[in-house]
Amino acid sequence: MSIIFYDKLVVISSLDKKIKKLTESSEERQEMWQMVEEIIHHKVLGCCLDNLPHEHHSEFLDMFHKAPHDQNLLKYLNEKSKKDMKKIIKEEIKKLTKDLLLLDSNKV
Amino acid sequence: MKKTAQNTNFRDLLKLKSIETRKGFKESFPEAHQFLLEKGIELGKLRQYSAKLISAGALTGTLLLSPPTGASSLPTPADIVHSLSETGDKDVNAIPQKEFIESLKNLLPKEVRPLARDEEKRLEMVVKNILNVNAKATLEGEHLNTIYGYIGAEQHLKRYPGDILESHGPYYKEGIAPGLGAWGYFSKSRADLNENLIETEKWYSVVQTLYLPDWNSRQPYLRDWYKYRKLLIVNTVNGNAVITALADSGPAAWTGKHFGGSPEVMEYLGGSRYKKGPVLVFFVDDPENKIKLGPVDYNDLSGKDLVQI
Repeated sequence: MSIIFYDKLVVISSLDKKIKKLTESSEERQEMWQMVEEIIHHKVLGCCLDNLPHEHHSEFLDMFHKAPHDQNLLKYLNEKSKKDMKKIIKEEIKKLTKDLLLLDSNKV
Repeated sequence: MKKTAQNTNFRDLLKLKSIETRKGFKESFPEAHQFLLEKGIELGKLRQYSAKLISAGALTGTLLLSPPTGASSLPTPADIVHSLSETGDKDVNAIPQKEFIESLKNLLPKEVRPLARDEEKRLEMVVKNILNVNAKATLEGEHLNTIYGYIGAEQHLKRYPGDILESHGPYYKEGIAPGLGAWGYFSKSRADLNENLIETEKWYSVVQTLYLPDWNSRQPYLRDWYKYRKLLIVNTVNGNAVITALADSGPAAWTGKHFGGSPEVMEYLGGSRYKKGPVLVFFVDDPENKIKLGPVDYNDLSGKDLVQI
């Protein structure tokens, strides 16, 4: 069990290195970590709902709000979506990591 | 806080991305957005919300909706007391570290996860019995979100303005962090740096205080309480244990790690190639500040039958 049911699928170490290089204080670092955290939760939850048929949204959200850590949520998603959600979430995170790392690549 | 053009730019772009993502979610899933709003769940604070639920569940014994892997095979407290006394009676020549590793193997679930309070209590007993350290998962009412997680390698911390990597020997490979720890410099200047503070940086650890459910609401108390708090870190694979001082907050949850250790801490826990591994982290109950930072040497083999070892 993790703190959030998809924690083990979300590992972005390269971005952390970048943030540590750019920040000088703990507050500044934590602010950026927090922004990344918020982006991740919106993206992953969006990805789950995107792949889950609409009629199951309400039940899923109810389960999620009662126990965001519960690994059964992943099983539920797999069953109802008939997809490998572990793989889909990992793909989403891969895409997001790339996006975030390239955020400032076009700066003048 | 010094702002460079580079970090301001990245921070602003990250902020923009965060706003866009939030807006995108709201537009794509208005019902889900409304549901979360009504339940008072901010996705930005989801981790703190979940930690609060887990903590309440751990106390009331309803931690999990489904049993964790291996939980059903966990021994009861009576079993543990029995097995510990049996070990003591029957095998006086057992190497403590071997005995410790075996006990951990029996008590810990197969997968790293937050532990229930009774599991923590059993581990405290084992630590007290074998390591002779008064280790507590909960101390003075404070508890981490998890005491069983992955530790990752951290860099040296700057102890005073102008501190450089070269003064942090003998481990230089990890480098020195460009930023300061959560409690800033250890001393105002090099002249003010004493042996105590040198040891504190040398044996420093990092835990995710930033995700504690009540971190923001109980300031400045928690900040002071956690500063340089003594923590026992145990490598659950090889039984190596070290007393550390908390000197930074982190790592970010999305790195897949829960704790951090200085180059010295990591070297002792697992050797020069050790970058990440499962550990147990306890508060050290040491009100008189008698316990020294550094390795816990509990393999006292005096009086043992060396032939059998």
